[in-house]
Amino acid sequence: MNIALAQSSARLGDVQANAAWHLDALAEARRAKADLVVFPELSLTGYTLRDLAEEVALDPRSDPLFRKIMSRCRGISAVVGFMEERASEKGIFYNSAAFIHDARIVHIHRKVFLPTNGMFDEARFYAAGRDFRTFAAPFGRAGLLICRDFLHYGANYALYSGGADMIICVSAAPGRGVAGGQAFETSRMWELMGEAMSYFSTAFVIYVNRVGIEDGVTFAGGSFIYGPGGRLLARAAYLDPELLVQRVDLSAVREARRKWVFKRDEKPEVILRSLERIVRAPED
Amino acid sequence: MPPKINPSFVEKLLVRFIREELTKCGCAKGLLGLSGGLDSAVCASLAARALGPKNVLALIMPYGRSFPEDVRDAEKLARALRIRSETIDIAPQVNAYFSGYPTSSRVLRGNKMARERMSILYDRSAREKAFVLGTSNKTELLIGYGTIHGDMACAINPMGDLYKTQVRELAAHLGIPAAIRGKPPTAGLWAGQTDEGEIGLPYAELDAILFGLVDLKRSRKEMIAAGHAPRRVDRVMRLIRDSEFKRRMPPIAKLSARSVGHDHLYPYDWGK
Repeated sequence: MNIALAQSSARLGDVQANAAWHLDALAEARRAKADLVVFPELSLTGYTLRDLAEEVALDPRSDPLFRKIMSRCRGISAVVGFMEERASEKGIFYNSAAFIHDARIVHIHRKVFLPTNGMFDEARFYAAGRDFRTFAAPFGRAGLLICRDFLHYGANYALYSGGADMIICVSAAPGRGVAGGQAFETSRMWELMGEAMSYFSTAFVIYVNRVGIEDGVTFAGGSFIYGPGGRLLARAAYLDPELLVQRVDLSAVREARRKWVFKRDEKPEVILRSLERIVRAPED
Repeated sequence: MPPKINPSFVEKLLVRFIREELTKCGCAKGLLGLSGGLDSAVCASLAARALGPKNVLALIMPYGRSFPEDVRDAEKLARALRIRSETIDIAPQVNAYFSGYPTSSRVLRGNKMARERMSILYDRSAREKAFVLGTSNKTELLIGYGTIHGDMACAINPMGDLYKTQVRELAAHLGIPAAIRGKPPTAGLWAGQTDEGEIGLPYAELDAILFGLVDLKRSRKEMIAAGHAPRRVDRVMRLIRDSEFKRRMPPIAKLSARSVGHDHLYPYDWGK
């Protein structure tokens, strides 16, 4: 299959403009024979929303712009980031990403780990999601993570245990540290996690980060695809926008799992029992 | 409309604010530009109560002989409040610049004047070891009706959370003379300029729209349903959006793990 990483910038707080760009990118990816197009975190709104969140929040089941994007996903899949406010949960805002296929929402993930430290302020404005759940994508089981979720390895483990052949992380990760080479030092952190998670979960890891600058903060780009077993298959430019289309061979999951039997020998029930004990008796 | 304030309680709060914030910085002296208009009159009156009249310096800074009534009203108010005051004509320094770089733009000239006044205030601030008191109200701050690094520059701002209509209530309570309270508000950048003329709607409605949008978080739709003309609501929303840069420190390009303004976050009153 062909995976398109829509590494790009967004216009902050302008859903209309960003929706138009989504439609263009979908069309371009379709021309490049992509089966899946992954947009970054909050791709429909931009990242640094703060008080803007409530003005750009939408219900994906009724919002006309969102439905228009969905309608352009016939025969193709897309992951779109947005600020979610359901009619059934008025006044509660989630940093969400939807997996769309054939003009239908297959799955919505709400960011669980909201960065609220240093330069980050998300939990002040958004509610946290409460689940990591895999879903049936046309190409196999997949799971979604949003930015900081990915850096909590338990989140990856939950998707791995849930049978994911592909972990898709959408991100708006600001770069920090300029003492390295031609990339922010923090880009290494994401790549390290991508490599490790793809290696030990013998699954594909798709990471799509945005670029551009918001209020002085530069998003680092450097989106990537790791194949099962920790093989770097593609990496997009640091800092610059790019629509990277990469062919991947889905049989690599089977191959990796024959070679490395981590998945076969995994014991989630033991992990669960241990975790239950830890959670119930933190003083033990 | 913004709610009516309890002016004696607000007076008490703002007097404490001025006194405590300046005392913490180790010098309970303040100075401000006194224009002869409402906002600076209210600020001067609060400062005189907070710091004692002797510790307040009012600089009256006309451009040449323009607005003589304002100068008279300002001087009269300073006398009534028994604060120190000086009148400084800014024409020589403004003219010195524009003789080299002439312009017919009233806005350019007006902004330059506002920044010359700022530069005088900050020079005197250092000489007198006194802090510059800001006089921008909430209405102006929200729509960006002020000159960045000009009249918006200050060490502390006691009035920034009061709408213009609320400043009027406070002014009446503080006994600001009717001559000042009755004037049409103006930035005083050129003759005949009035805030309401320039902004394009009266303060009463402007404050009502701002209060709805900002304090009550009403949507555009709700504001229109409440009887405000769509054109006016849109205008106010645009003014708010386009002036955010005046209310913030400029963005610093983040490079490191700990950057000024991004994640090096200490309180203003650190250690005070």
